[in-house]
Order: sequence, then structure tokens, then C-alpha cells
Amino acid sequence: MSRKKSIFNGKVINKMQCRFPALSVNEAMARATVAVFVSQLDPEITELADIKCAVSEAVTNCIVHGYRSCEGMITVTVSILEGRVVKIEIKDKGCGIPDVKQARTPLYTTDAAGERSGMGFTVMESFTHAMRVTSKVGLGTTVTLYKCLGTPPSIEGSGRRRGGS
Amino acid sequence: MTERASFLWDTAGATVTVYIRGEIDHHTAVTVRNGIDAMLFENRPARMILDLSKVGFMDSSGLGLIMGRLSVMKSLGGTMTVRNPSRETEAILTLAGMERLIRIEYTEGVSSEAADALRKKAYEPPKMATASVVSLEGIGRSNRREHNGQARQRKSTRKGRSAKVPGDSA
Repeated sequence: MSRKKSIFNGKVINKMQCRFPALSVNEAMARATVAVFVSQLDPEITELADIKCAVSEAVTNCIVHGYRSCEGMITVTVSILEGRVVKIEIKDKGCGIPDVKQARTPLYTTDAAGERSGMGFTVMESFTHAMRVTSKVGLGTTVTLYKCLGTPPSIEGSGRRRGGS
Repeated sequence: MTERASFLWDTAGATVTVYIRGEIDHHTAVTVRNGIDAMLFENRPARMILDLSKVGFMDSSGLGLIMGRLSVMKSLGGTMTVRNPSRETEAILTLAGMERLIRIEYTEGVSSEAADALRKKAYEPPKMATASVVSLEGIGRSNRREHNGQARQRKSTRKGRSAKVPGDSA
């Protein structure tokens, strides 16, 4: 785990931030914006799809659960770290999560009537290499996602990297 | 910026095939859900096939959409099948273990070609939703019946499908 952490604390090479209202119509904009920024690293299509899906889940959570469809702003910060690591931070100032551990449980949802699957955090966790959730009731939630493009040697230990040509 | 989700539907006897296209997220799922439900309650089919070959993006809202429609079909006494999930949707369906809850079948993409051809026809918005819906009744039925039969015989696996991806047919 400590080896994993080390690659996630690498030097920031490039950074982008966008801030937008918590409206469901902005979900597509958010994932597309992140995808465009990450494209400079020439990711695989599947890697880009994973990132888009994870970002969409996080932004949807902000809108549905954080602000509960009320007014608010969402901030998405994307950093490219050395070693082809992408760090994505999605932040809201909504109601917060009382029990983060419970919220991360697969199929757990507080909005069953809205046909939510309760798979949001599970999807984020599965489609990225690491996820951190910090939340304070009444103050908001920050979800930080880390995605390593290619096969980082410090995770697989194989030293294999995606070749660039 | 993004393609809005829409759907087409086709009836063949007691079977309704719904072709969803576009991106399914929390924003678009509502429109698609309302449109499909309106169609289901009007037609009350014994079987619904949900064709996902033209879905370019789907997050967990799509899972909710599928599970919700499965629930509606059960309440109507019918069954539901997911057909030709695109590469973009397959990952999340697998992650959620949907293959244990619902039948997922693969054909060779003819269904989506049919949907593409028919997409050029005039759209007729449904009464209860803003989604683009057009009835495909009577058009290309024989082709669809033929491929339904092929699908039953093949019971395709992911490996078998890799030769031709439905989403690439366009």
C-alpha cells in the first residue's frame, strides 16, 4: 500500500480545474471535460471510458446526494502526476455523508425510489486504482480518484510500461 | 456537447425490442425511463428485448434503468432480455453481475443496423416523455425473427463476440 501511495504523491505536471452548478445536464460536460484533459496522455480507450464513468458517478453523487437536487456548485480538479498518474478531485459543499464506510457498501443507496442502483462508489472504486472519500456532515464531500495509465511498475512490480511511439 | 439518449422500438408479436442509443446517465435516464414505461404500459408485451449496441456511455444510472424495467416487465407478467451490450456498457454490466439477474444475448449486429436505417424516418414523440420514439412495426420483421432464432442457437459468449463488435457495424 505504501508503494501505491508513493506513486500517487508524484510531482504535478499539469492541472485543470472547472466549477459548475450541480445540474444533471452538467454530468456529460464534466466527464467530457476531464476526458479531453486526460487525452494529452494518449490513454487507451478503455482507460478513458473508465475515467469518464468514475467521474460521472462522482458528479451524479454530488447532485443527487450531496445537494439533493438543490442549488450548489461542484468543483472538479484534474492533476496529471509524473508516471502517467491522473488524480481527479470532485468536491461539493453539500450535506455530507454521515457514514462513509456504509455509503461505500455495494448496493447501498438512500434514494431507492429514484431507481438508483447503489453502485456509485463501487463503480468509482473498480474503474480507478485508488479512491479516497472525505466528508463532513453539513460541510460537504470530496472524492479523490487516482487512475494510473498503462501499467505502473510500482503497482504490478513487473516494470512493464505501455510503449509510446 | 453530448448526444442525448433516445430510443426506438419495434414490435413482433408479443415481443417488443427497444433500441437505446446515446449516453445513459442520471440526466438522460429519466427521459428514456419514462418513454419506455409509457410504451410498455400501452403495449403490455410478454417479452422486452433491450438492445444496447448503440449506447456510447452508461454509468450506474443505466443499471437502475435496466433493473427498473425488469421490475416493470415482471409486474406485467413478462420477461426481459438485454441484447448486444456495447463495449462501453459491457464493463459496468459485468461489474454489477447483471448476467446473474437478467438474460444477456448477442447477435451479429443486424438489429442495430436495422435501427440505424429506421432512425432516418420521422420521429414521433411519445405522450408521456420527450424521448425520441418511433414505432418500427411491420418493418424488417423477418430479419429480426431470423436473428432472434440465431441468437437462441448461438448463446454467444464474450469470446465469440470479439470477432465482430455490434457497435462497430455503423
